[in-house]
Amino acid sequence: MPRFPAYICRMNTDPVIKAYAITKRYGTLTAVDGLSFQVPPGTCLGLLGPNGAGKTTMMKIIYGKGRRSGGDLQVFGYDPGRHALDVKACTGVVPQEDSLDAELDVRSNMRLYARFYGINRQVADKRIEELLSFMELGDKNTARIRELSGGMKRRLVIARALLGNPRLLILDEPTTGLDPQVRHLIWDRLRKLRSSGTTILLTTHYMDEAYQLCDSLIIMDHGKAVLEGNPRELVEKGIERYALQVFDQETGPDLRTRATDRAIRFEEAGGMLYAYADRLGDLEDLAGILTARDYVLRQTNLEDLFLRATGKGLNDAQ
Amino acid sequence: MHSDGFHAQDTPGDTALPPHPAGPSHTATGRLAPSWRQRIFAVWFRHMRVYTKNLIANGFPPFFEPLLFLVAMGVGFSGAFSGKPVEGLPFLDFLASGLILTSAMYTSAFECSYGTFIRLNYDKTYDSMLAAPLLPRDILIGEILWAGTKGAFFSSAVLSVISVFGMIGTAGSLLSPLVGFITGLVFASASLLVTSFVRYNIDHFNFYFTGFLSPLFFFCGILFPVSQLPAPLSSIAEALPLTHLVRLERAVCFGNWGPEHVWALVYALVFVLAVGWLAIRRLEKQLID
Repeated sequence: MPRFPAYICRMNTDPVIKAYAITKRYGTLTAVDGLSFQVPPGTCLGLLGPNGAGKTTMMKIIYGKGRRSGGDLQVFGYDPGRHALDVKACTGVVPQEDSLDAELDVRSNMRLYARFYGINRQVADKRIEELLSFMELGDKNTARIRELSGGMKRRLVIARALLGNPRLLILDEPTTGLDPQVRHLIWDRLRKLRSSGTTILLTTHYMDEAYQLCDSLIIMDHGKAVLEGNPRELVEKGIERYALQVFDQETGPDLRTRATDRAIRFEEAGGMLYAYADRLGDLEDLAGILTARDYVLRQTNLEDLFLRATGKGLNDAQ
Repeated sequence: MHSDGFHAQDTPGDTALPPHPAGPSHTATGRLAPSWRQRIFAVWFRHMRVYTKNLIANGFPPFFEPLLFLVAMGVGFSGAFSGKPVEGLPFLDFLASGLILTSAMYTSAFECSYGTFIRLNYDKTYDSMLAAPLLPRDILIGEILWAGTKGAFFSSAVLSVISVFGMIGTAGSLLSPLVGFITGLVFASASLLVTSFVRYNIDHFNFYFTGFLSPLFFFCGILFPVSQLPAPLSSIAEALPLTHLVRLERAVCFGNWGPEHVWALVYALVFVLAVGWLAIRRLEKQLID
């Protein structure tokens, strides 16, 4: 962990973000529709949902990059619509797109960004070194941006967002398009930051990411919260324990007949049939009439929950 | 996480929250964003670093272009212009003093049209800047000042080439970078305003460059005096910013100061403030969605 001088952002137990009935309209489109939540310090909140659900819009409103159409919002006690600078002085942001200055090397990119926080050169250089090694980019100081892989760029943008020693870290789809190793590295670092007291807000498409990192979760659809709570509890309480995912929908009628008198629930989405039950045996019995490559029998996850809440798959193109 | 509101009244759009326990003051977080001077300077500095990274490639045009122009004019047309002073100046001196500003005009116009558009829409440079404690107006003012700086640099480059040819060569001409700077500010503001109207298609800048800047180059007193234009055209030329800047530059170079130069300076400064303010207001709305 990089060790920084004791931060001067006020620490108390008040929620870092308090959002109440946030609404954002673009013309006739309502991108965020009355979203309310609070994020206590040192916790991680995930906004999960398909493209167009309003996740990014909500995040931009929080750090003052977007203007809300309605609702009340406080971040560190400030309204980002009026005091964006104060909010941003305590917040690090990792936007969806890695925009780095391709002409410059890694260290120059970091130095220029440190200036935006008013950090003097000496302090900046020390912090840059710590942050690059924290994100395992220690040997990339003088590398050109175009020499970096996608995963390195993403780690660099995260390191850049940490320059201001933020108390709140906002990440918009931090691991989209990255390979599994990099994703695990990023998750590990985010967990370390959280355990050192950094509050994290992230958006994601990925169930596993939300499950790995988030203390609480809001599943969004069409700008609204369709489900919210702790990811584990949501899965435990909100849905049966096992899922049978059948790729061949034509077997549907047979399966449904076979399932009569048993506590099995069916859903159809994205050309697939899902059967849910608390008893594994019931689903194993159903699977008996299927060929092995036509189904997956597994524990339920957030994706199933999303399907249940919205009646459609999370990855539907929107 | 609670979905119940922390605010007593449900009044969407009303941002008048009850004060945070710590009060909405700078002490609530104890962390101050940098001052506006630091912020604007940081933006300017970023552009300077990116530009000077390829100094040889980027510095080539302002030196080489006037060289080409003057060689062509001097070699090809020298006979045609000899003995015909323009506004009391040898033609090449007249022309050269105008060219000092052409380069400043074009470089700042490029910077704040194509450059700004690309940073805004393709490179997403502004998105990453706005993730830091900067306001949209810090970014845009930094942009205008940087374009002014480039104007000063380009006019210095042209001046030095001209001096090598033994033209102008007055002490006053050393103030040319200052006029180049003001020219840079003028065309940065104008170009940002144009950029604020170009939402999706970068090719629309063609209208600005060919439809506006090219006529300025031809009719605002760089190649021949504005007074040679027929009546309606000369009035139009008098209304355009470049005419006044060129006039100012000639006064700087040749010392023929008059009251019209005070007006030229006032015109330029008011233009920068008014057009720049309008451009910033319009672009702010695009930067904060």
